[in-house]
Amino acid sequence: MTAAPPPGPARKRSPWRAGQGFWTVAVGVPAIFSVMRLWIEAGGELQTTLLLVANVGPVNLLAALFTTATRLVTTGLVAVFALGAVLAVSTAGSPRRPPLFARWFALAPAWFLGSVFVIALATWQIIYLPLLAVAAVAVFQRELSALGWPRPRWAVTVAVLAAGYGWLVAPTVREGWATGELFAVALLVVPPVLAPGVTGPLPGRLVRPLAALAQPGIAIVLLAAAVPVVMTPVLPMTVTTVRTAAGVPEEVRGHVISTDDVSTVILQERGGVRYVDNDDIEARVLCPTEEELVRYRLRVRDFHVEDSLLGALGRRVRPFTPVSAVCRIPA
Amino acid sequence: MTDTPARPRLRPLLTATAVTLTMLLAGAAACGPDKDPSPRTVDELFKQTSVYGKPKIKIGVAEDQPLMGKLIDGRFEGFDIEIARYLAESLGFQGDSRIDFVPLQTEDRENALLSGKVNLVVASYSMTPEREKEIDFVGPYFVTKQELLIRVADRGTIRDLSDLAQPGRETCVVGGSTGEREFTGRGLKVYPAATNRVCLERLLAGKSHAFSTDETILAGYLSEHPKDLHVVDVPIGANERLGVGVSKQDPALRDLVAFFLRKSFDTGQRTDTSPWLAAYRRTLGPWLGEDVMQPPIDAPDLVDYDEKAPRP
Repeated sequence: MTAAPPPGPARKRSPWRAGQGFWTVAVGVPAIFSVMRLWIEAGGELQTTLLLVANVGPVNLLAALFTTATRLVTTGLVAVFALGAVLAVSTAGSPRRPPLFARWFALAPAWFLGSVFVIALATWQIIYLPLLAVAAVAVFQRELSALGWPRPRWAVTVAVLAAGYGWLVAPTVREGWATGELFAVALLVVPPVLAPGVTGPLPGRLVRPLAALAQPGIAIVLLAAAVPVVMTPVLPMTVTTVRTAAGVPEEVRGHVISTDDVSTVILQERGGVRYVDNDDIEARVLCPTEEELVRYRLRVRDFHVEDSLLGALGRRVRPFTPVSAVCRIPA
Repeated sequence: MTDTPARPRLRPLLTATAVTLTMLLAGAAACGPDKDPSPRTVDELFKQTSVYGKPKIKIGVAEDQPLMGKLIDGRFEGFDIEIARYLAESLGFQGDSRIDFVPLQTEDRENALLSGKVNLVVASYSMTPEREKEIDFVGPYFVTKQELLIRVADRGTIRDLSDLAQPGRETCVVGGSTGEREFTGRGLKVYPAATNRVCLERLLAGKSHAFSTDETILAGYLSEHPKDLHVVDVPIGANERLGVGVSKQDPALRDLVAFFLRKSFDTGQRTDTSPWLAAYRRTLGPWLGEDVMQPPIDAPDLVDYDEKAPRP
């Protein structure tokens, strides 16, 4: 089978300098993020920050960062590469230098693009996966085009995919419509309709303005999205029940920094570090935080729309995590 | 894919529209829709209750109703007490050190709620329209019926209510209870006692010929004197619906109590075990039969932390 040559510039192998830049960003950004998070976690106090730095290992910190920041990183990469792909196709054959995102897209190796989409598929909330599908069509449009399928074959494939997707989300869409969750309905319905349309070049007059707007636009959106990630705690939230002289136990809500033979150091939720005598500790429970409460009550085939596929599968292994009532007690 | 002549002109426009709409949708998603979930959250409602931030929750209970609410060796025990403990624990008051059990007489229950002496009343509290004018009820968490308790020796002479109409026979009831009205309405002679225990003592001493109240309470006394007493299964009035009493000033607490009772009901329906069923099986079950189920209850739709858990 002879495939038609793909439109647009051929993807280049990453040159050494681009690789160097990538690894600088890949290592440097998480390191900076981690320090920023510790600083925020400590409530801005220098001594508390130093205490945290002394007790939170770099591996733990990076693992915690990966757990909470994967979505942000993959969102940024997917957005950049999707726009880059559209711009690359649109500026193919132009004598002018391609826009920045298009150059990045051309530099990215296929394995890297594939990995980003696989990680995003596993970690994004289910409700945003339709947007990922649009991005995937945009990014891999040259590969799709290279298949060289005749039009009827495409029509059948798209029809089968649409029918399958419709079967998957129809009950959710109906429920969302009935409960007035129109934005959720739009997120489920609109992207698959748009997906076949994002391939192909943009009108020539739009390319440069779009490139000029997209780069700062994505930077601003990512910065806004990074704020909650920087503020996500590094240590798990616990409530420690401490015996008091008055008889009624006291609940200390916060993050356990360290424990030794004598005392347990707790960074309290409302601020300040507390050293609690180990002999006074009656119980300790792990608590969720308000950010973990759901916004929607919709499910796609029993998978909650705000769960990631990874999270939803995890819930099949541990179906129910009881939340202790102690967690409701105010700090 | 072969292009038609019209295609080159239309295709870029289609792409531009699709890309623009996708970016708008993604931008809206990134900025986040309204963060407040449409149903309220349990935590949000909890913050509006009068018990939020308090070291203890005050729950009015009966102290002398075996199997329902009774003080035994300094510790409250019974079905109502188990329900009260479940509700307290659900609200974050785990363990008896965080619960202030306040013993209440039957006639004091409304006042205790109105004056703020207690936050909740779980004390065989019948849901009646008169009481609902003063306080809010959550329930029913149990449906019982009024019956008669008599001495074993009278089994042959007292078989129904008409036998109590004979001159010289009196029935002991607690003053202010729903049972009292059932008897006075039928012209039967009643002795309005202050407490159920007084009625029991009058019955055992032979001063009253019968003692009438909820089946649940009578089952408790029967469990204490199985050889001396007998329960007569006669229809007296309508079914009694027992509810949890909450002040009208605290609608958030009322909604939360309903939510947690509903949660127990739902769990029982799915798994055949729930806080309610466990409480029943430990207390009333051996005397009233194991086949009793928690009655369904209307509750507000609230979001809690277990929302993402798979549905069974």
